[in-house]
Amino acid sequence: MFLERRSIKQLKKELASSPMDTLLTIVIISLFTWVVSKSIHWILFVADWEVITHNIPLYLFGSYPKEQLWRPLSWITILSALTIVTLIGGKKIARKKFLPLIWLSMIPIGIVFIAGGLGIYPVPSRYWGGITLTLLLTIFSAVLSLPIGIILAFGRRSELKFLRFISKTYIDVIRAMPLIAVLFFGQLLIPLFLPVGLEINRVLRAVFAFAIFTGAYVAEDIRGGLQAIPPTQQEAALALGLSSRQTLQIIILPQALMTALPALTNQAIGLLQNTSLMAILGLVELLGISRSLLANPSFIGKYLEVYSWLAIVYWIICTCMALLSRQIEQSLSTSSINNI
Amino acid sequence: MRNHNNFIKQLIIGIIVIFILSILINNLTVNLIRTDMGLSFKWLLQPSGFAVSESTVPFKPSDSYAWALFNGWLNSLKVIVCGLAIATLLGIIAGTSRFNSNLLVRFIARTYVALVRQIPLLIQLLFWYFVAFLSLSENPLKIINGILEISNQGVYLFGLNLSLEFSALLLGLSVFTGASISEVVRGGLNSVPKGQWEAFRSIGLSEGDGMRKIVLPQALPAILPGLTSQYLNLAKNSTLAIAIGYSDIYAISDTTITQTGRAIEGFIILLISFIIVNLIITNSMELITSFLVKDTGK
Amino acid sequence: MKKRLFGSLLSIAMVCNGCASLEKSRISRLEVIQNRGELICGVSGKIPGFSFLKSDGTYEGLDIDICKAMAAAFLGDPNKVQYRPLTAPERFTALKTGEIDLLSRNTTFNLSRDSIGGNGVSFAPVVFHDGQGLMVKKKSRITKIEQLSNKNICVGSGTTTEQNLNDAFQEKSLNYKPIKYQDLNQVVAGYLQGRCKAMTSDRSQLAAARSGFPQPEEHLILSNVLSKEPLAPASIGGDQKLSDAMRWVVFALFNAEELGISKTNIDVIIKEAKTNTNLMSLRRFLGIDGDLGNKLGLENDFVVKIIKSTGNYGEIYDRHLGPQSNVSIPRGLNQSYLKGGLLISPPMK
Repeated sequence: MFLERRSIKQLKKELASSPMDTLLTIVIISLFTWVVSKSIHWILFVADWEVITHNIPLYLFGSYPKEQLWRPLSWITILSALTIVTLIGGKKIARKKFLPLIWLSMIPIGIVFIAGGLGIYPVPSRYWGGITLTLLLTIFSAVLSLPIGIILAFGRRSELKFLRFISKTYIDVIRAMPLIAVLFFGQLLIPLFLPVGLEINRVLRAVFAFAIFTGAYVAEDIRGGLQAIPPTQQEAALALGLSSRQTLQIIILPQALMTALPALTNQAIGLLQNTSLMAILGLVELLGISRSLLANPSFIGKYLEVYSWLAIVYWIICTCMALLSRQIEQSLSTSSINNI
Repeated sequence: MRNHNNFIKQLIIGIIVIFILSILINNLTVNLIRTDMGLSFKWLLQPSGFAVSESTVPFKPSDSYAWALFNGWLNSLKVIVCGLAIATLLGIIAGTSRFNSNLLVRFIARTYVALVRQIPLLIQLLFWYFVAFLSLSENPLKIINGILEISNQGVYLFGLNLSLEFSALLLGLSVFTGASISEVVRGGLNSVPKGQWEAFRSIGLSEGDGMRKIVLPQALPAILPGLTSQYLNLAKNSTLAIAIGYSDIYAISDTTITQTGRAIEGFIILLISFIIVNLIITNSMELITSFLVKDTGK
Repeated sequence: MKKRLFGSLLSIAMVCNGCASLEKSRISRLEVIQNRGELICGVSGKIPGFSFLKSDGTYEGLDIDICKAMAAAFLGDPNKVQYRPLTAPERFTALKTGEIDLLSRNTTFNLSRDSIGGNGVSFAPVVFHDGQGLMVKKKSRITKIEQLSNKNICVGSGTTTEQNLNDAFQEKSLNYKPIKYQDLNQVVAGYLQGRCKAMTSDRSQLAAARSGFPQPEEHLILSNVLSKEPLAPASIGGDQKLSDAMRWVVFALFNAEELGISKTNIDVIIKEAKTNTNLMSLRRFLGIDGDLGNKLGLENDFVVKIIKSTGNYGEIYDRHLGPQSNVSIPRGLNQSYLKGGLLISPPMK
């Protein structure tokens, strides 16, 4: 009883400490109710969701061969299951050391499942589409941009003047460019820089362009991580008799990556959002496939439904990624403490 | 000895870099010869033969490609500058609201950030333009008669007629960047010692005044670097204009490249124009930083 | 020393590159396609009636059937096609870099695209004679282009459509404001929601788009035709073997319609031709006699394979643009010359 009265008092202080405050509260509540009720009304009674419900397989997998659909389907199912387990499991799960390992293993599993290889019938990238393509573009580009970023970050700190200059120029030029221009370069200009007869397919070109772009940002994040490591660490390692390469690999890099992890996961989320730009350049990832569907005579003019659906899908994926990365960061930091 | 070693290392790296570059350039030349293209900028002076919906300087289709591109660049600059102002305002409001005493205000600010930051900007722009703005009626909706009127033909504000594409792009960019700026502002405010808040409250300043006069100035040094990088992001993101029909530098380059087939040259021009935009933003921010930080230092 | 080594390496790289390109140009793309066992066809993927994505993930339309006819002729199987949806700006680059074998993507045949000094591609015969038009809402009471002076017009960017619109207005010294979008369905959205007084595109596309409107009868396609838009498949220039093969595949579609050979009656006609040796030209056309196909580097019965898979031109047209289809466009100029249209096949002998 006492507690309840206190929380009401607290609530009053939070919501109506002055007349102005009360007015604000009322305005916000009424606006919020209006928006929410309007949206629910539209979702339930006005919107025609056929353009979504009819095409769920397309949004998920693009034109992936029908008889092979179980592959991306099972990968996405495992991924979602893992997401749910990690998020619901909370701290208990987060303390498990194998968690980051399982997540890491999802990358090669996904690539083998969807692209084929290792005895599985290969499915060329032109059949990839929808969310599958969005996720694969993100994963491939992220994996490729990490080494680029690491090399550039060390290049910028190198004692070789020339190497420093090249790394810095690269980072600065790329960071000055809009992503769409880099992607345009990837789609239309990379072919001109290749020897005659050598072709790189469009998905791969997009991956290269994303990696070239993201690499410059990753480099800056890792450089931030490197700067956070006290110089005594290196001195200590050298004093222990480790070679300078060993020091780098065992002592410096892991710590720098750990420090940079929150920034790096933000880059990954940004990367996933940015894959939507490929729709402008003609790839059929999640947004691209939606735009193609809007040209189908039976779905002309359904853009309100389609864009709302896309917003929800992207929001869910990105929010899950953000929450997951927090979990994994936690699990990593606890396990590293245990190790010490 | 060490210097000598370093010199050789640098030489080797230099040779590798030059080697890679020359292979690429060689491929490019072979490809350009094979497709009979060559590299040339003469086309810049030819008449463009297309009209643009929105021009900052007078433009007609008989004007040259160069003038069309310059026009696009000015259009970009226009939306970037306006976007910076609105995004900053939004960011400061949302950022400081996270410290508001009212629970609901904090909730709204948090929802705004959580919503906007996790949806791709391109989707948001398409949404603003094709859903929010285009579905307005043709008769202006008079929000404040004679000052702010909106219709699906554009926005009328203080005697200025803003096109629909411009308004949607401006709003989309500002809302998106505003969310990121609010996080920068929040981080900056967090860096101000809690004692300062208690201090201004104890001397009887209102929340708003205390924020403006005491806390925000102290948070500025922590906020400004983050702000610069958000401004650069906004400038780069403005190229998504092409998706909603605004004639910015990228959209006009795109049309130019399609019409002339001059992809490499067009790309080089685009690159240079963006390096200039970047330089303008970083230099003015440095100027502002030195001015503001010195000011608060007194 | 190092510099010299480097220089020689560079020159080796250059020479190799040169010889690779020489060797490459000797092999026709047609053989590349046949060795690969698959045809890579660049399409739009966003134009109702011509090429669009269906819910089951496959493409459909007139442009798509042209690809199928080519695949049937080159490889004997209409389904051995890989479709690459391309945007307007990237289509010629994709052709040049060899990313696609041929383009079947509403591409207007004109001088600068055909010539070596321009885009340098080689065009097959026109598969659809189109013309650019303007569509307005009937209630706006606009009937002539002059009434669109100083009005907004929605147009797809980066295409000849944009240039034609400009030329037409310049000629009449009229001003207008183009609102440029990236693809047709965005143009439609802008027009339907009232951002523009008119939208412009090829008349076939206007008709196709209108058929999907909530109230098609409230929209009017103006009688002014802004330009000729002959749409044709294209391949890379300088590859005669491939462009010849493409040309005659299209002509075969026309010729079959002229002769009244269709998917339904082809078996009967073959039987008849096989038994009756007097039907000389028919026997040559169907590959029973002579070596027309071999001359092109194809099987002698390539025509039979085409007709069995896609039918003749008239059948393709009716399937996607005929009165029974979703997108109904009168045949107009796209009719055999026997019925007053522009389609005619040179003799196949």
